[in-house]
Amino acid sequence: MEPENIIEMLHITKEFPGIIANDDITLQLRRGEIHALLGENGAGKSTLMSVLFGLYQPEAGEIRKNGQVVKINSPNDATALGIGMVHQHFKLVDVFTVLDNIILGAETVKLGFLQKKEARRRVEELSQRYGLKVDLDAKVEDITVGMQQRVEILKMLYRDNEILIFDEPTAVLTPQEIDELMDTMREFAKEGKSILFISHKLNEIMAVADRVTVLRKGKCIGTVETKNTDKQSLSNMMVGRPVQLEVVKEKAKPGEAVLQVDGLCVHSRTHKRDAVHDVSFQVRAGEIVCVAGIDGNGQSELVYGLTGLEKCAAGSVTLCGHDISHASIRQRGEDMSHIPEDRHKHGLVLDFTLEQNMVLQRFREPQFQHLGFIRKNAVRQYAEKLIRQYDVRSGQGPVTVARSMSGGNQQKAIIAREVDRDKPLIVAVQPTRGLDVGAIEYIHKQLVAERDRGKAVLLISLELDEVMSLSDRILVMYEGEIVAELDPAATDVQELGLYMAGAKRMAKEGEGA
Amino acid sequence: MNQRLSQLWGRDGTKSVLASLISILIGMAVGGVIILIVGLANSTLGLNSAWEGIRLAFLGLFSTGRDASGALTFGFNPVNIGDMLFRATPLILTGLSVAVAFKTGLFNIGAPGQYLMGTAVTLMLALGIPSETVPPALIWLIAFLGGTLAGALWGCIPGLVKAFLNINEVLACIMTNWIAANLVTWVFDGSDFRNLVENTKSGYIYKTSFNNVETAKLGLDQIFPNSQVNGGIVVAIVIAILVWILMSKTTLGYQLKACGANRHAARYAGIADKRNIVLSMAIAGGLSGAGAALYYLSGNTEFFWSTYQTLPAIGFNGIPVALLAASNPIAVVFTGCFMSMLDIVGQQITNLTAYNEYITDVIIATIVYLSAFSLVIKMLLSGRKKRRAAAEEEENGELPGDGEETVSFGQDGEPAVLPGASEAEPAQGPEESAPSPEESSPGDEGEQPGKGGEKA
Repeated sequence: MEPENIIEMLHITKEFPGIIANDDITLQLRRGEIHALLGENGAGKSTLMSVLFGLYQPEAGEIRKNGQVVKINSPNDATALGIGMVHQHFKLVDVFTVLDNIILGAETVKLGFLQKKEARRRVEELSQRYGLKVDLDAKVEDITVGMQQRVEILKMLYRDNEILIFDEPTAVLTPQEIDELMDTMREFAKEGKSILFISHKLNEIMAVADRVTVLRKGKCIGTVETKNTDKQSLSNMMVGRPVQLEVVKEKAKPGEAVLQVDGLCVHSRTHKRDAVHDVSFQVRAGEIVCVAGIDGNGQSELVYGLTGLEKCAAGSVTLCGHDISHASIRQRGEDMSHIPEDRHKHGLVLDFTLEQNMVLQRFREPQFQHLGFIRKNAVRQYAEKLIRQYDVRSGQGPVTVARSMSGGNQQKAIIAREVDRDKPLIVAVQPTRGLDVGAIEYIHKQLVAERDRGKAVLLISLELDEVMSLSDRILVMYEGEIVAELDPAATDVQELGLYMAGAKRMAKEGEGA
Repeated sequence: MNQRLSQLWGRDGTKSVLASLISILIGMAVGGVIILIVGLANSTLGLNSAWEGIRLAFLGLFSTGRDASGALTFGFNPVNIGDMLFRATPLILTGLSVAVAFKTGLFNIGAPGQYLMGTAVTLMLALGIPSETVPPALIWLIAFLGGTLAGALWGCIPGLVKAFLNINEVLACIMTNWIAANLVTWVFDGSDFRNLVENTKSGYIYKTSFNNVETAKLGLDQIFPNSQVNGGIVVAIVIAILVWILMSKTTLGYQLKACGANRHAARYAGIADKRNIVLSMAIAGGLSGAGAALYYLSGNTEFFWSTYQTLPAIGFNGIPVALLAASNPIAVVFTGCFMSMLDIVGQQITNLTAYNEYITDVIIATIVYLSAFSLVIKMLLSGRKKRRAAAEEEENGELPGDGEETVSFGQDGEPAVLPGASEAEPAQGPEESAPSPEESSPGDEGEQPGKGGEKA
């Protein structure tokens, strides 16, 4: 009789300079279960998994497989023990084909020659059996993120792994892909594979996991069965204080139109059709207008068109009474804050310090420069003020290099900078992506507070919960066009989903719809 | 006192200086080993000569020849030091050129071309403007500015190509280097500036002193008599300070660095990214051009105009100078001097020992090569520093932003906030140190930004 627990991590302690990332953590994974690992950013989830996967050596504690103590010194050891991992950032060779990636490191060779035929047959079989659709001959750089993830999963299956680790697998997926992934995970569990699922999304954990182990600040808070708990108590365990999951807000009192968009078209960089086609809407002071839609339906390009990162091909954009259709990014910035979609590409200069990032747009203002010389003290004081006010945590305060900060705090820094610029319009693109409950709560509060101060907020979000709870009006984008305008109070997620999938469409109401 | 020391240690600059010094030492040591090996392998040299060679490699700057008994003598040698400063002048400027480009995210391997264009225009102006009618000082200034401008314009080309067509600047720089080399040869081939009078020196352009144009000595010839030193070194140092101010104190420097570090973010923030890329390359090119101008305006240098086969080494040597200085404009002054010192050392070894000048070049190349490892050394130093800082932090215990929560961490965790956690194992309370703040966990989130950055 095999023991109940296939993997036991007992009293694991892993220290890094200055912090204890894992402090005496015990995790027991039962055969055939989906076990979620829940915790905020920096709670030590990924560290613990890296220990299991052989990337780090713990200072104390032991790992047992089927009751036997094992030593995992490298990912190769882990693979030999049947442990496979899908990393948060996929470890694929972009210029290799899907098949090459799957067999990489586990190639069948004969006299030094690759035996791809056999490999192809096995991969095809696996892909069919689990419904993991991939194009074996496509290059990884050409396929979608969802398919890349399926490639990672096939990699694990190809190596006959029986313990599968998923590190925040849903962060990059669309709602449909998330559902598919959940089904696949359940299928694996049914077959007796054991799954460790790292996440900070409570919905998903409640939906798919059998048990949850909660980590906070490197410590194990407890392990609970999902059927004996609920979202609220899980989030309390995770954050360490009661968290408001619902957004509390008054009814909007919209004022004058701040942003008026008429017939906007933006060319696509990748294909011939317009990424944004004939889009018209307005955002008024004191309301949050949310653009919902499945990723890749032109939301990003819409924002590029509004903010000037991409040229407007046709139509007009009016901001605070000025036509800005052809204005420079800097001119547009006079009346617009922009929380960008990609905080590493656009939001921050990662090699700059926090204080340098805080004045990225404002360094030309007289308070920060004199005759072209930067007023260092003024910048320092301003950064310190923002850090205090918005509770941005970092190792060395204003002189911390942005790259060394956690994702959540990087995002907080951007929000602090953009909100404090105090412009009539805030364009926020997926402001809570990849953040944990505590940070999301905070950012939502900020956006509502700005709305109540009379700002116009244009929110672009892929999270339906966020769309429903935060917005005063919802615009649904599908294939570059706005197909519906909805009142969140009078609609539900199902209806929204139909519009997002393009199954339903509202008749155009003429101008300003 | 101890605290101040550790503060000093913690500064990035300290690490850079230390890293450069260590890599210089390693380079010198390996150079010494090569001298030894060559000495022992060569019957005409032997251990004695090898020992002399090693001493000269380290102290060549202070070599004063041999005494009556044939032993090497050392002391203050004004000629050596003056010559070092003279040769350092153009190196400092090409080093600055490369350093400025590095700071703004560009690799200016086009310094030789910019240097050549600067040379050509400087010489044309310095020799072409009649000194009978125009005061030589004014000619000097015009020639200097002209050379600088020529370098700047030549630097613009890769900048423009990079900004508007997104063509890698390294490629464009290499091409413009050879265009410059051929252009300069062609221009001088048909010019009146060829020195055809002294037939012993075929292929050379007149010295600028032929037209009474030469850099003022500024009294430096009093301090270092009989050497080639002139006021150019002072100009170079002033330029280095100006570049330092530009890069670290001004909004322009801030913009240039922002564009270099993340072009997308700079654009997002409304900074004109294309303009700044062109500007970076123009400044870099201008500095190379200025280096050429200062070198050839000295009045005692001749220019061999057939450059179509070789690019000036001074341009390329700007790269190790900048690397060794970790792209710090002030440090470039010192690393530039170090590199020219090696030149002097090589001369001393060739003159005073039986080592042949080519093997001297090999030794110097080895030193330069290993000296450029300062980045690696700095990484190693940082690793050590981090560990030390970690130890300190643990001693101090308190971490910012965690105060209140630390208090609530009792011996048996926080039972108050564990509703529904029936199977919860009591979290063991830490006794000595505060729990980790989320921002400094290297395992979980720490590696994310880096990868994201690369991806972008």
